Amino acid sequence: MSIRVQGLVFSRRNFTLRIPALVFEEARLTAIVGPNGAGKTTLLRCLGGLLPVPRNTLFLGDRDLAAIPAGERARRMAFVPQEQASAFNYAVREFILMGRTPYVSLFSLPSPADAARAEEALAFVGLAGHGDRPCQQMSSGERRLVLIARALAQDTDILVLDEPTTFLDPKHESDVLDLARRLVDDRGKTVLVTLHNLDMAVRYADALVCLKNGTVAAHGRPAEILTEDLLLAMYEIPMRILRHEGRTFIVR
Amino acid sequence: MRDKKKGLRFLIYFSPLVLFAVSLYLGTYRIPLPDLAKTLLSPLVPAWKAGLPEGYASIVFGVRLPRIILALAVGSALSVSGAALQALFKNPLVNEYILGLSSGAGFGASLSLVFLGPAFPPQISAFLFAVVAVLLVLSISAKSESPIVSLLLTGVIVSAFFTALLSLVEFFASPYSLQALFNWLMGNLARPGWSDLAVSLPFVLGGVAVLVLLRWRLNVLSLSDEEARSLGVDLRKEKFLVIALATLITAAATAVAGIIGWIGLIVPHLVRMMAGADNRRVVPLSAALGASFLLLADDIARSLASFEVPVGIFTSIIGIPLFILLLRKSSQAWS
Repeated sequence: MSIRVQGLVFSRRNFTLRIPALVFEEARLTAIVGPNGAGKTTLLRCLGGLLPVPRNTLFLGDRDLAAIPAGERARRMAFVPQEQASAFNYAVREFILMGRTPYVSLFSLPSPADAARAEEALAFVGLAGHGDRPCQQMSSGERRLVLIARALAQDTDILVLDEPTTFLDPKHESDVLDLARRLVDDRGKTVLVTLHNLDMAVRYADALVCLKNGTVAAHGRPAEILTEDLLLAMYEIPMRILRHEGRTFIVR
Repeated sequence: MRDKKKGLRFLIYFSPLVLFAVSLYLGTYRIPLPDLAKTLLSPLVPAWKAGLPEGYASIVFGVRLPRIILALAVGSALSVSGAALQALFKNPLVNEYILGLSSGAGFGASLSLVFLGPAFPPQISAFLFAVVAVLLVLSISAKSESPIVSLLLTGVIVSAFFTALLSLVEFFASPYSLQALFNWLMGNLARPGWSDLAVSLPFVLGGVAVLVLLRWRLNVLSLSDEEARSLGVDLRKEKFLVIALATLITAAATAVAGIIGWIGLIVPHLVRMMAGADNRRVVPLSAALGASFLLLADDIARSLASFEVPVGIFTSIIGIPLFILLLRKSSQAWS
């Protein structure tokens, strides 16, 4: 399912996000990049339904996001926060099962089918056999995978990941992005992800959305839109784009 | 490991039954076991009534049974509301009294006892002011940006305010009504009879039952508000529901039994140490362990000395050292 943004103006305190038109295509991995304060997280939260969006500005397929009830929205789109900081030390299995919330009515318990779905999500992120471990014993890289597994258990077409690789070492950074890639390639999910690491964005993303001061500075295939002028305009420091053996590196 | 945990859980669910039997037997007046069983079943088998001394029925049905049922109900109510509020406010240190409930109830009871006299039941006023205090705390803290911190702060401040009002009433009270008031404030399960039970038990049982049904949802509510919302939860509605239920059962329990502290904090913690954080287990286990805990405390309170010691004192004296002991012992496995 594609996501369409149309005439979105969202103001919060002294910051305004202004996006006249933008489409996130179905079954693609789109990376949203830009300097701190450019509006990446605000855009993501608008999309994830965490901020109250105005009517007729965001569309899932052809339906107005603001008109979709919360429960139904949660069956179409999953939001993966940066960090999971629960005061309670749930076991990994129990935590992932919470992804089934939109399918379980208020006064009932998740069914064995829900548990099987959670188990399958756990295996997909490569943590089969870790279900009994307490979340707080997991490394921060593993916790990101657990968060993604919960979103996967939510069984949505769209996954929105808020800076999933921040504070991770190179190996875990690759693990998380490989996983995001597999969600698109193996499962046909539409994945939106905010990233700071431009090398990784170029390497993993099908499309890039560059934000600057609450507006879209560029949008398109990474190889086509990334220029040194764009990087200078976005980050206000000179950067170089090097190509070597078919790969693109961005260096300061 | 897993079998051991399963056994422990079974033991907790079973314990209220065992304690129920033991507690019926305990008391200054010893009733031999066979006679006790006969007395208990005499409403079903009228023929047994004839052979028994006349006092037995009134001791068992008039004194011990209502007290035991009250202890079980109040213990599970306080524990379940503690567990639910801890999940809802994402903080294992929250208890039902942090919402200003106990100080509101204390003030309400004092007002009634001192100005309306001991003949008028203080429960009504206690219940009303408990609800007033909670509403006050919630409405003051609702507009804040970080609701949890402001809720805890508001709870402390509203509690302090009602405690000051309580002191003011005590200042004007006669020594006679002061005695009755102290007895109530320290928590006492001896005073209430069947009529008190009939009023508060439906609220307590109904509220506990609904919270038990909500137990898995409490897991989801214990996540950050943002995560819960992204999982499709209608936060306003569900938070209101849980707070209303927890307030209802705690206020109903406190109104009849007086202020019994620490159970709502200690019992859910003990359960989490033994059975993990999943509220699917925590809520029903808290109901069972809370019931046993308060009944045990009351048994000790009434059999330790020839006079009655208010049970609220005992829950703190037994509970807190036990809590510290377990916290030290299991801090590694638990945190």
